[in-house]
Amino acid sequence: MLSNMLRLLAEKKGFFLGLLWEHLSISVISILIALIIGLLAGVLISEYQKSSRLVLGFINFVYTIPSISLLGFLIPFSGIGDATAVIALTIYALLPMVRNTHTGITNIDENILEAARGLGSTRLQMLFKIKLPLAMPVIMSGLRSMATMTIALAGIASFIGAGGLGVAIYRGITTNNAAMTMAGSLLIAALAIAVDLLLGTIETIVHHRSKANRKRTAVTAAAALLLCAAVAVSSIFSGSGDQTLRIATKPMTEQYILGEMLRELVEQDTDLKVELTQGVGGGTSNIQTGMEKGEFDLYPEYTGTGWNMVLKKDSLYSEDLFDEMKKEYEDTLHLTWDGMYGFNNTFGLAVRRDAAQQYDLKTYSDLARVSDQLTFGAEYDFYQREDGYDGLCETYGFRFKKTSDMDIGLKYQAIQQGKIDVMTIFTTDGQLAASDIVVLKDDKQFYPSYLCGNVVRMAVLEQHPGLKDVLGSLNGILSDETMAELNYAVETEGQEPKTVAHDFLKDAGLVK
Amino acid sequence: MSTAIEFVNIKKSYGNKTVVEDFSLAVEKGEFVTIIGSSGSGKTTVLKMVNGLILPDAGKVLVEGRDILSGDLIALRRNIGYAIQGSVLFPHMTVEKNIAYVPDLLNKNNKKKTEDAVLKWMNIVGLDEDMLSRYPDELSGGQQQRVGIARSLAASPDILLMDEPFGAVDEITRAQLQDEISAIHQKTGITILFVTHDISEALKLGTRVLVMDNGLIQQYASPRDILAEPATDFVRRLAAKERRTCSLPEERLRDCEYSSAFSLPHGS
Repeated sequence: MLSNMLRLLAEKKGFFLGLLWEHLSISVISILIALIIGLLAGVLISEYQKSSRLVLGFINFVYTIPSISLLGFLIPFSGIGDATAVIALTIYALLPMVRNTHTGITNIDENILEAARGLGSTRLQMLFKIKLPLAMPVIMSGLRSMATMTIALAGIASFIGAGGLGVAIYRGITTNNAAMTMAGSLLIAALAIAVDLLLGTIETIVHHRSKANRKRTAVTAAAALLLCAAVAVSSIFSGSGDQTLRIATKPMTEQYILGEMLRELVEQDTDLKVELTQGVGGGTSNIQTGMEKGEFDLYPEYTGTGWNMVLKKDSLYSEDLFDEMKKEYEDTLHLTWDGMYGFNNTFGLAVRRDAAQQYDLKTYSDLARVSDQLTFGAEYDFYQREDGYDGLCETYGFRFKKTSDMDIGLKYQAIQQGKIDVMTIFTTDGQLAASDIVVLKDDKQFYPSYLCGNVVRMAVLEQHPGLKDVLGSLNGILSDETMAELNYAVETEGQEPKTVAHDFLKDAGLVK
Repeated sequence: MSTAIEFVNIKKSYGNKTVVEDFSLAVEKGEFVTIIGSSGSGKTTVLKMVNGLILPDAGKVLVEGRDILSGDLIALRRNIGYAIQGSVLFPHMTVEKNIAYVPDLLNKNNKKKTEDAVLKWMNIVGLDEDMLSRYPDELSGGQQQRVGIARSLAASPDILLMDEPFGAVDEITRAQLQDEISAIHQKTGITILFVTHDISEALKLGTRVLVMDNGLIQQYASPRDILAEPATDFVRRLAAKERRTCSLPEERLRDCEYSSAFSLPHGS
């Protein structure tokens, strides 16, 4: 595992360095903003004690909001991406700053303050000559814990489409690549430790009392500040221009592959530069918001999801509704569907091959005949869902001998070992490609259709006519089985989505 | 002699507790006034009213004939030395920075003048120059007190307020410090208000002694009058022990240090 990870780090040095830089930028900006606001707020509530309980109470309350939900709350206001991440991280970082500044200042010996006052210090002189210097150790320790915490917390920023090492972690999790997850986590830890050491060094130097060191303090502090400023400025100016196509994908293996295909094709066949945000947390709900705000231009979506989640229709989606859906997308959202890949990633039922042969099973109705002799397995929530187990049984008249709760990761093992005979699957599961099981046909159309295609902003298509040809070339290039095989290549064989995408496009003759 | 500090009908209370009421007193320029009284007698309150750290509920405080609230309080404080118990140095500043605190506030640009003042006062209070760059926690208790005194005097104020400044040092050091502050008083002619709870210190240092009890002035007089003619029972009891420290019988008290100059026949 360790050697896997090291090899991965070496192979994808550029990728990880890029993420490390993004991570550092997001963290440093948040830390700087929180440092300034936190210091100011801490000083203000110390000078005006009456307000301190209210302010600290409020900040404590905000601190208790789980980070994921805070990110969720912020998306409607600040959208997907770095800005939201910086805001959320700043909010979390405020508490230790405000609290430590306040504690540091209010815990100063009252006699010292009275001496300073009695000697004729103004309020500002008290603050800068006495209070802040004496509170500095407490403030510094607040800053240190705040900085480490922010860097660690920035790991979740990728869930809302921001950059940083969280991207590696999240991609590792969704594509079953443990080495990737570990590499990302380790780099975050290393970054946090490095920053803490840096701050620790600054702290010791500041505390050191000999005169010669005072100059060095100033130099080190200035250097650190300059570094921070450089990080902040460079990341602000690295925005994207007009000639950029911003593509988003959901946190699913096949979407990572599709994202890489789109990038390669678009950059080969048009003048556009692609900015790919892989695996946006929350999937449709967050990406759709970004599309409507113009933060993203294109993303792969599934027809059933578009119908139910985006257009918020209650009825069951089938493909004869496609034109109606597309029209509504265009009229109300100014988005359209273009480039239907051909595969359908829907729920399905699969049986072990020997059982399928024994009972001659091809469709769900076939299965209903012999269901009382078979054991059914699905993940826990399948038994709770409205369109889950009960609905399925009612439609087809299943009466399984036994049902079993399984973790999604263990299902395939269980069916191979004969612990279960029938199970729920997604029709493009990577493991389908390598398992000795048969996917049955949903002959009464219990499940909605989830054909995969690109949702794209109409304005972008008009601006870049060449894009339409690229998307057109994607029509029907992937069957359920092919998609499952590509997923398998990433999830089980450990290949990179980018490599898998490139090899496939090459075989299909779309790239040289 | 003109009046340096004057309290006019001062009243101060905290909640229901009245600390001083109808307190009036004039302190002549150049006096070394020691203020003594039981704890809670209002002596520190009176002291802190001079530089406006505590403001009276009623009445007014005049410094050099001017109501302290009519002018700039900050400027006033910079012109009044202030030394408090345990000296309370600024722990993050060197000896040099501590002593230079007020000069730095006053004249930021004249570094030379500040430097000279620091050296001058270190010399006067008996501190070695090699202590300039030390921090307070690297000093002995007595050295800290000396820095505290130097800090309060560094801007050459006309008035010095001291609140039990020698409370936390050993007997020997205290005696040395007492001698030094006496010498400083004689040399500079500065007006000093000195709060203490030690009657022998009050009598030894003061040119005038203010005895307070429950916010009321019991007696404001020279040490010898305090000893020889205690105005109230409280003063008598307070001074009783000092009267005996000469270890002389009552009729020979005039031979004692404090009573030797008696010209009057002693009171009862």
